[in-house]
Amino acid sequence: MKVFRRLALISTIGTYLVIFIGGLVRVSGAGLGCPDWPKCFGRWFPPTSIDQVPGYFDASRFNIVLAWIEYINRLCGMTLGILILITAILAVKHCRHNFKVMVGALSSAILVTLVGFQGAFVISSELEPFAVSIHMLLALLLASAMIYTTQHAYYEEDKRTEEKTVYPSRTQKFIFMIWIITGIQVVLGTQMRSKLEILAQQFPLKTDLEWLDQLGAFSHSHMGLGLIMLLLTILAGRRILVGTKSLPALARNATIAMLVLISIQILLGFVFMLIGMPELARVFHLWIASMFFGATLIIYNSARRARSHS
Amino acid sequence: MSKHSQTKMIFGLFIPIGLVMALIAYFVVDRAKESVSDLPVIGEIPQFVLLASDSTAFGTEELKGKLSVVDFIFTHCKGPCPVMSANMAELYDKFDGHPEIQFVSITVDPLTDSLGVMQEYAANFGVDDKRWRFLTGQIEDIAELCEKGFLLAADDLPGNHSTKFVLLDDQARIRGYYDGRDPASMTVLTTHIQSLARQLP
Repeated sequence: MKVFRRLALISTIGTYLVIFIGGLVRVSGAGLGCPDWPKCFGRWFPPTSIDQVPGYFDASRFNIVLAWIEYINRLCGMTLGILILITAILAVKHCRHNFKVMVGALSSAILVTLVGFQGAFVISSELEPFAVSIHMLLALLLASAMIYTTQHAYYEEDKRTEEKTVYPSRTQKFIFMIWIITGIQVVLGTQMRSKLEILAQQFPLKTDLEWLDQLGAFSHSHMGLGLIMLLLTILAGRRILVGTKSLPALARNATIAMLVLISIQILLGFVFMLIGMPELARVFHLWIASMFFGATLIIYNSARRARSHS
Repeated sequence: MSKHSQTKMIFGLFIPIGLVMALIAYFVVDRAKESVSDLPVIGEIPQFVLLASDSTAFGTEELKGKLSVVDFIFTHCKGPCPVMSANMAELYDKFDGHPEIQFVSITVDPLTDSLGVMQEYAANFGVDDKRWRFLTGQIEDIAELCEKGFLLAADDLPGNHSTKFVLLDDQARIRGYYDGRDPASMTVLTTHIQSLARQLP
């Protein structure tokens, strides 16, 4: 069980690393660094020079740096896939009696396979905005499934956690609402990103701020929802930290993380509005959103468990 | 360990990890940007003078100081030319309002493509300013320019002309070749024009 729990934790951290690398692929414009899938320019290793690019690919599409960025993303994704599949096998072997762990581990295995194959569609669609958003959403669902599995594996080892915990009333619903809004925000954000990429192609010589200006309703709703989330998170965070009896360490840390992460997100939002969109800030904006999503899920699971004890 | 010191330790760990990841991300993004903006110099266009469809001379001097995208076509071509010119028209529209970026189509069938025919062809693609020029001349001069200047095959013209778009910098140097029929190549070309345009003095 201990091995399973550790592997589940490593896979969860791995999932977040791959989400980070995926964001990096996006902002560095390496999404089509390898124009085919699963191979890269028809080879199992990216070409090292233009002479190795097969004739059926236009040589102008070959950029060794972008090809390797995308290739490393695929290698990391594949390693993560293997880790998660081993986790699922261990779950079947050792945790058959625990329905929640089994559901979490098996869903993760299905999701990681799905993300991989859907990645092929993202490439063949030439980064079609909807396909990219689905890719991101599937990755978030995978992170959620891994968190769920890991958290319940911990509960399996220490059955007394959350036994004496009493959350303020309606915490579970409150957190669920924040979780859903976060999902909407992520989809809105990826759609905005896609629209910005289209604008960058249509008006290549305009600046970040000029492209942002043209987004209109999209960016206003993203900003508005962001501020609503900040308010809801502060309210929820305060209620949990002040009003919970015997708050477990994991939930406490997740609540603090939620508050810190939303504050950084709002700050990054202002950076985008005022000085444009530096690539580094964009990578972290996406990554922090996915971590925030995970933190809310940890609290939700904890509140649900506490409720089932009472 | 108390709950509070455990929290401090966890969040204390996040800061160095975050910094390391920021450094890695910075390095990767920087290398990616550099790889797009550092286009190799493939060759230099020799001195030439052809005739534009508005009866003015157009040569190497007109290429200097601007970025140029050049292709070789002929107006009654039923093969790749309509797609190539449609893609060129899309680029022409994208860079509307930027006279520092020009498009040049050189006919490989000067006997058929008179100035009037080329003007009509240009009008069909919505050309209404001097950002997209159509050039003609003696077929021998055009074939030599195509082969020795632009380093493209020029055997068996007009039927067997190249479908490449050639990107030239402001010193009339070749910086890239792109498949004029492939939308993905056009995306790459747009990024390269954008990158060179931002380096213009």
